[in-house]
Formats: sequence, structure tokens, C-alpha cells
Amino acid sequence: MVYYIYDGSFEGLLTAIYEAYYRRETPEKILSSDNVQNSLFIKYVHINTDQEKAQRVYDAIVQKISPSAAKNALYAFLSEAQDAGTAIYRYLKLGWKMGKSVDSALAEPHVFRVHALRKKVSQEAGKMLGLVRFRLLKSGVYYAPIEPDFNILGIIAPHFKKRMPNQDWIIHDVKRKLAAFYSQGQYAIVPFEFKGALSLDDEEFDYQTLWKEYFQNIAIKSRINPRLQRQFMPVRYWKYLIETPGTQAKS
Amino acid sequence: MDLHTKLKILGAAAKYDVSCSSSGSSRRNRPGGLGNASLPGICHSWSDDGRCISLLKILFTNRCAFNCLYCVNRATADVPRATFTPDEVAQLTINFYKRNYIEGLFLSSAVYKNPNYTMELLITTVRKLRNEYHFNGYIHLKAIPGADPLLIAEAGKYVDRMSVNIELPSSQGLQLLAPQKDRDSIIRPMGFIHSKILQAREERKLYKNAPLFVPAGQTTQLIVGATPDNDLRILRLSESLYKRFSLKRVYYSAYVPVTQHPNLPAIASPPLMREHRLYQADWLLRVYGFKADELLDETQPLLDTELDPKSAWALKNLHLFPVEVNRADYEMLLRVPGIGVRSAKRIIAARRYSSIDFETLKRFGVVLKRARHFITCRGKFYGERNINESALYQMLKPASTQQKAISSTGEQLTFSFLYPHVFQPEDVHTVITGEM
Repeated sequence: MVYYIYDGSFEGLLTAIYEAYYRRETPEKILSSDNVQNSLFIKYVHINTDQEKAQRVYDAIVQKISPSAAKNALYAFLSEAQDAGTAIYRYLKLGWKMGKSVDSALAEPHVFRVHALRKKVSQEAGKMLGLVRFRLLKSGVYYAPIEPDFNILGIIAPHFKKRMPNQDWIIHDVKRKLAAFYSQGQYAIVPFEFKGALSLDDEEFDYQTLWKEYFQNIAIKSRINPRLQRQFMPVRYWKYLIETPGTQAKS
Repeated sequence: MDLHTKLKILGAAAKYDVSCSSSGSSRRNRPGGLGNASLPGICHSWSDDGRCISLLKILFTNRCAFNCLYCVNRATADVPRATFTPDEVAQLTINFYKRNYIEGLFLSSAVYKNPNYTMELLITTVRKLRNEYHFNGYIHLKAIPGADPLLIAEAGKYVDRMSVNIELPSSQGLQLLAPQKDRDSIIRPMGFIHSKILQAREERKLYKNAPLFVPAGQTTQLIVGATPDNDLRILRLSESLYKRFSLKRVYYSAYVPVTQHPNLPAIASPPLMREHRLYQADWLLRVYGFKADELLDETQPLLDTELDPKSAWALKNLHLFPVEVNRADYEMLLRVPGIGVRSAKRIIAARRYSSIDFETLKRFGVVLKRARHFITCRGKFYGERNINESALYQMLKPASTQQKAISSTGEQLTFSFLYPHVFQPEDVHTVITGEM
């Protein structure tokens, strides 16, 4: 049995898929290096990431399968699920055989898995578009910390670029120590850690209070429904909100 | 009066409007501007009653000339009153938007002085937001019943969605509870907005830069349980609104008792289950290709609170089932209880490449607990054999309704106005709960 190990980047995964093809091997699994548990009976092949090889695989996906297959693969990869690499590999392999119709072959487990992962990731990204909360700092920058389950920073940043082109903002993925910095039409996603307290702008408190009060007031007392609230907005997303959900009990 | 107090009063006063959606518009940001609209809409938070908060939903003012009995802001009500200025509304919207609290503004208002005066105030506000503050986010504006069509046409240029609330499903209901409104003052603006939307759409086909007019369409809201109108009547009304005016949504709002009056029903709690069933039936009308008369008829004009309307329909039409999932067309698959739009589409896509087995159905998200009684898969039937309608009814019914049935008796309507001299409000309460 052969396992391919890549460095954890999307390019690394694509390189592994490239190598599997040209070495005429079919690895049992393709794993990210931080997911490996050593076993005696398995041959581990470490793949060195190669931008050029990765690009060739990417072009092959877009041209020979479809652009949406490339999106599916990327989104599934961002789920950081342990089996994502393997599922994407099998999905693409089938894709190069079937062409763009691979996305209809949902009865195939790997196709279904990739679609399921893509859906989870894009759902969280969609939810995050609403749940990001900026705080205006003294320096005039709008700063928003988040802790999403999946690595969605790259998906949501373009949305805010289009929406708020005239303000400088930072979206900080605290868990992954990554941040998107935006200023004047351009953003970059870079490793980032922030320690210490935020120095908020003076008017920030006022608007935070207004929002909190509005949030409390908008709930209809005779319809209080904490279960429904948590179903839409799981508690793990509450940490960086300004408002405080779940404080009103049914009277 | 400071901004905090105003927002408290005018935010709380707007909460009974259910519509929250920010969908249907793809307005783009302009250079130097702030914001854009997202076609599927974005929810930004969920309040403690579980409803989504997408737009900053406020009234411009709650000083009202009308005296609709069901309303908190009616002229004779003893509540604190407040009025925003256009700039205050704009500042709030912009600053909440920049912090990503909201998707845009939902601006409604009580009828201040007269409908035209109010409508003009609303137009000033949205015009300011668009032209002075360069705001390109979502705006949902209420059209005030009875306002001049010219004013409505002007407002439509700046906003993404407009709505006129019908509130009460029948003219009798309006007469009884909202004597200053009539059917005509509500239906006419709807028809007007509809024709303007069609006109703008035609113009945009010819000229790319023709101005937008209410690109996200219009919606309305009905209050459920404040008048004796039955579900069949409500659904027929919704159906004709979808057909005649291409409404995007009809929202249903369970009547929340905010006041006591002999013309109003006395209820212990809002009829939430009825509202839920109406929403389910509404989706069946819009998305699943059902007709109101298929779901209900004169002999059975109320939706079953125990069972969802699709299952109820299937039970009445058992002769159409079971259907073979590998062969049935999309429309028929949609009518199977337990199969929704998503799973039906998956089935259609997947079976072009291979026939589908029972295990795959499970992965596709089909609710087999319900669906298995109505389908065959590769010719095999997975439901119970030799079962009659009433036994099937018991099986389809969610288990928890056993307990709910007891508590829901409190939601049954008792029209105290039939015997106003017999029941005092407190008496009605005890009669409903059965505690003497």
C-alpha cells in the first residue's frame, strides 16, 4: 500500500496528483503531512511541492473537466478534512475519464464526498459573510476577528473588497493565525498574530451599544425560541459578535 | 430625544413586520460608494426569537393617524412616540453597514399626518442615502397604503424591494379592524408597482443603462388569526397574488395579541403552528407546483396542524403512489413526502448515469421515514404492506405532537366578540386552558 504525503498546501495536493499520474501509481490515500500516523505496512511517499506541476494539473482540471470541478476541488480542500485529499484525487481521476458530467455522477462515493465537503465549506463561508463584525480602531482601520471551522478567509475576502472598497479593513482568522489585509483596492492574506488589547475608536462604543440595544429590542417576547436561534447561528460563532444572543428567556 | 431612545422605540415598533429577506437584487457598488446587494441575500444575525436579522428594520415614525385595532402603534394606543430625521436614519444605516451588522435598511412607517406626507418623508430618506451617502446596499421600503402613485413611482427608483402589507385577508376583516384602510388602497399600489416593474424590465432589455425599478420585486404580509378567515381563503389569496402581481413572497404573521378589544380574538399565545403550516403550504404553491385547491377544499378549509400539508395531500391521493424513483418525472418526485427540491434534483442528475438504489437515496437527503411509504426503488417497495390511511397518518405524524397537541389547545381561537358581555378577558383565559 502506498500513501502520498504532501505539505498541506493546495499546490502540494495537485503536485501529488501529478506524480501519481506520471509514476503510474495509484496511491491508496493522499494525506496532508499533519495528518500522518506511521504504520509499518504502508509505504509513505513524500511529495515535494512544485508550482509548475501544480499549475499543469490545475489547467487540466479546468480544460478537461470543467471550471466548476476546479472550484469543487479547491473548496473541498479548504475543509481541511482528513480524507479530503484522497476524495479529491479520486474525484478528479474519474473526472478526467468522464469529463464535465462527473458532477452528475453523485452515486459515486468520492464525487458525493467532494460535493458534500464543498457544500459545507461554501455554507460556512456564506454564513460568515453575515457574521463578520468589524470594530473601528483608533487608527481608522476596521478590524474583525473570526474563528471559522474551515479555511474560508480566501473565499470571503473578495466579497468585502467589493462591498467596502473605501475603508481599510482586516479580517483575522484567529485560529489559523491568518489575516486578510485590505487597503485601497487590494488585499493580501498573510500569517498574522495579534496580542494585546484593541484600542477602539471613540464613536465605536456608541454604535456597539446602539446595535446591542437594537438586537435586544427586535425579538418578539411571546415567540422566544433559543433552539431555533442556535440552529441558525451555532454557539461557536457567538464569540466575536457584538450583540449577545440567548439572553432572553421565554416569559 | 437621543438616538438610543429613538432606536429603541422605533426598532421595537417595527418588529412585527416579518419580512427580513435581503435577496433578489444584484445592485452593484459604484466607484466611491459603499455597499452592494447580494442576490441570494445574507443574514447577519438571529434574534432571540429565532428570526433572522438581515436589514435594519425600523419605523421612520410611530406617530400614526390610523387606528387599526391589531396594531401597537394605533392612534389611540398609549405608547411612547418618536420620529427620526432622514439624516439619523442614514447615519445609523451607514455606520451599521460599515461594521457588517446589517445588509441594508428596511424602512417602514406609521401614517404620519397623511399617507402622502409620510411617503414623501420616506423618499427623502432613501434619496439621501443613495445620492448623498452613496449607499448601494439593500433597501426595502414600505409603500404606505393610499399614497399617490407618483410618489410610489419616485420611491421605486431608489429601493430594491417594496411591499404593501395586506395584513387582513378579507375586506370584512379590514372593515372590522382597520376601518381607515380598504381593499382598494392596498391592491391598487400593488398593481401599480407590478406594472412599473414589468415596464422597467422591458426597458432594460432595450437599453442596458435604463434605470432600475424595485429590482428585487415586491412582497406583502398577512396576519393570521386576527380574523376568522380560514386557511383555504388565505392560500387562495396568496395564490392569486403570486399569479397576478408576481409577488416574490407572501409573509404570514401569527397574530400577537398586543391589545384587548371586543373586535379582536382573545388568544393565549400566537398561533405559531398554524403560521408554520401556512408557510409550508406557501412553499408548496411557489416551488412545488401545487395549487391551493389541491391542498384544501370547502369541506376541509383548515390545514392539519398535526401533519405537514404535503403528507396530508399524499394521504388524500394514495391512488397516485407508490412512484418509482428511477422513472418518475421531476414534478412527481417533488410531490413525494420526504423528497425536496434538492434531493429531487440529485435523483434526476444521478439516474442519468446509473439506476439509484435505496442506500443512495439516504445519502441524497431523502427523508426515508416519510418517503418509503410512497416510493418504489428498483421496483421494490420499502414501506408497510396492507396499511390503511389512518394507520399511515399515525406513522407520518411527528412523535412529539402528542405533547404539543395538549399545549396547542391554548392557541385555538376563541372569538370573544361573539359574547363580549359574557367573558371578561381573564375568564376567556381560564376557559381556554381548562383550569377553573
